Amino acid sequence: MTDPLADRVRPGRREADRTPEDRGIGRDGVRLLVSRGPEHEDRRFTDLPELLRPGDLVVVNESATLPASLPASGGPGRFLLNLSTRYASDLWVAESRWAYDRPGPVPLELGEAFDVAGVRAFRIAPFPGTPRLSFYRIEGDVGRAMVERGRPIRYGYLAREYPLEAYQTIFSRVPGSAEMPSAARPFTSALVDRLATAGVPVAPIVLHTGVSSLELDPAHPEEIPVYPEPFEVPRATAELVNRTRATRGRVIAVGTTVVRALESAWDGCAVSAIRGFTRLYLKPGRPVRVVDGLLTGFHEARSSHLELLASFGGAERLAGAYRVAVERGYLWHEFGDSHLLLPN
Amino acid sequence: MSAPAPRRPLALVTGGSRGLGEVLARFLAAEGFDLLVTARGEAALSRGAAELRARGANVEEVPGDVADPVHRHELRRRVDRHGRLDLLVNNASELGPSPLPPLAEHPLPSLERVFQVNVLAPLALVQELLPPLAAARGTVVNISSDAALGGYPGWGGYGASKAALDLVSLTLAHELEDQGVAVVSVDPGDLRTTMHQAAYPGTDISDRPTPDVTLPFWAWLLHQDPRQLSGHRFRAQAERWEVPA
Repeated sequence: MTDPLADRVRPGRREADRTPEDRGIGRDGVRLLVSRGPEHEDRRFTDLPELLRPGDLVVVNESATLPASLPASGGPGRFLLNLSTRYASDLWVAESRWAYDRPGPVPLELGEAFDVAGVRAFRIAPFPGTPRLSFYRIEGDVGRAMVERGRPIRYGYLAREYPLEAYQTIFSRVPGSAEMPSAARPFTSALVDRLATAGVPVAPIVLHTGVSSLELDPAHPEEIPVYPEPFEVPRATAELVNRTRATRGRVIAVGTTVVRALESAWDGCAVSAIRGFTRLYLKPGRPVRVVDGLLTGFHEARSSHLELLASFGGAERLAGAYRVAVERGYLWHEFGDSHLLLPN
Repeated sequence: MSAPAPRRPLALVTGGSRGLGEVLARFLAAEGFDLLVTARGEAALSRGAAELRARGANVEEVPGDVADPVHRHELRRRVDRHGRLDLLVNNASELGPSPLPPLAEHPLPSLERVFQVNVLAPLALVQELLPPLAAARGTVVNISSDAALGGYPGWGGYGASKAALDLVSLTLAHELEDQGVAVVSVDPGDLRTTMHQAAYPGTDISDRPTPDVTLPFWAWLLHQDPRQLSGHRFRAQAERWEVPA
């Protein structure tokens, strides 16, 4: 399967290779493209409270980014183990890479022991369908290893290395994401206050993102699976979402992770409070039941990401938005500009 | 000085010589379980166990038929050497005739065999192994099927046995709660296995995933609080696996 969307949006786009702070603006100083039906309007992120209505609900991801990229050494030499998903304190799905800008997988036999940040680890099983990922058993205190020697996962397109704080949002509370849930990065406490004043509450979910491995070949999107990620929708948020829907407010998800969590918690007539893993793959034709609007960034032409976006209003509208974003110089990636998709 | 090594948990996997049982046994061994594996196919069972031992796992193979009470006694004897049983996976299953006959024509002797292996044997193993399971506050996983719910033509015999097993699981979950034993039902979904091929002789089933597709589910399930899982039915290939928040 080729991805016509991917081909259309790739050429000519501008990439954010630095944080907004590094570009001399505040976190909330980024641009905001607002897509409503076929219209695409240029705004600032700080305009968000005016773009929403009293009774709308903004849902954010409280997952905090881990310093998940760990130095490793063993039979194959020195490499990186990028932790993706925690199944238990000693059981992780992870990606072995030669370096941040040099993908793996590093050849490790099943059962082969190696050192990761001073702790002993074993590759115990391949991850089904994804050769670059495996299950690893890690003996010892992984949390301390991360604090002492871990770094945020990064890829080749960034100009420099940033401290972990650059990868947290003001909502980051529960450590667990391999990569920053970046859609909420421009939020400031002042903006949250303005939302509250505008009658728009903010409610949390947690979804811990796994690694994205951005250099994967987008010409073969079928090789980019959506793998299971841990999530939790707390009772208070489930109730707020259900009340918002009942009173005709709009549920605005901040990030595709929030869409996945809320849609995964849909039980057929309401959102329920649940905790687990989701492997929900949203795409056109798979109806979005809970979320009305999506605040997100401009991301790599990954099939799974674009298909989810296209499930809000269709592939044509999304392609139009991305064309406009390229023409008007919006910035791509986790430190780039924002995109608000609203219902018609 | 390192602390004394914690006791390794013990798992018993039936139907552990091939397909889902073999994949699950391999994963449990890698996760640090001591293993008892049983199946009727002695050669395949021994081969798999030897392979796991070569990787350092502590695996005993006990060939036999779970529908045979003498064999179940032998399994109890082996478990008793460890004192406790942390995980019992009732995976061994009998499909019935191949190709699958409609219920109106299902030979009753083979249907009896289907129920013996798929319903009575898992229950008998729980009865036999309850003391070591209770000692470990262990978990019983009964492998079910979407045929238990479907009413799919041809799958009536097998499906009815799995529906019965689901009710056994749910009831046991309530009855064994006080003894701290959790009972879970798992539908692994369609898999590219010998049994699935037998259900569709001559048909290409290569579009079905191999059993390792369920590994992330097992990795999740094995690390949940068993008391939160007990009495629930999970689908390993579902969009989500969850417990109440």
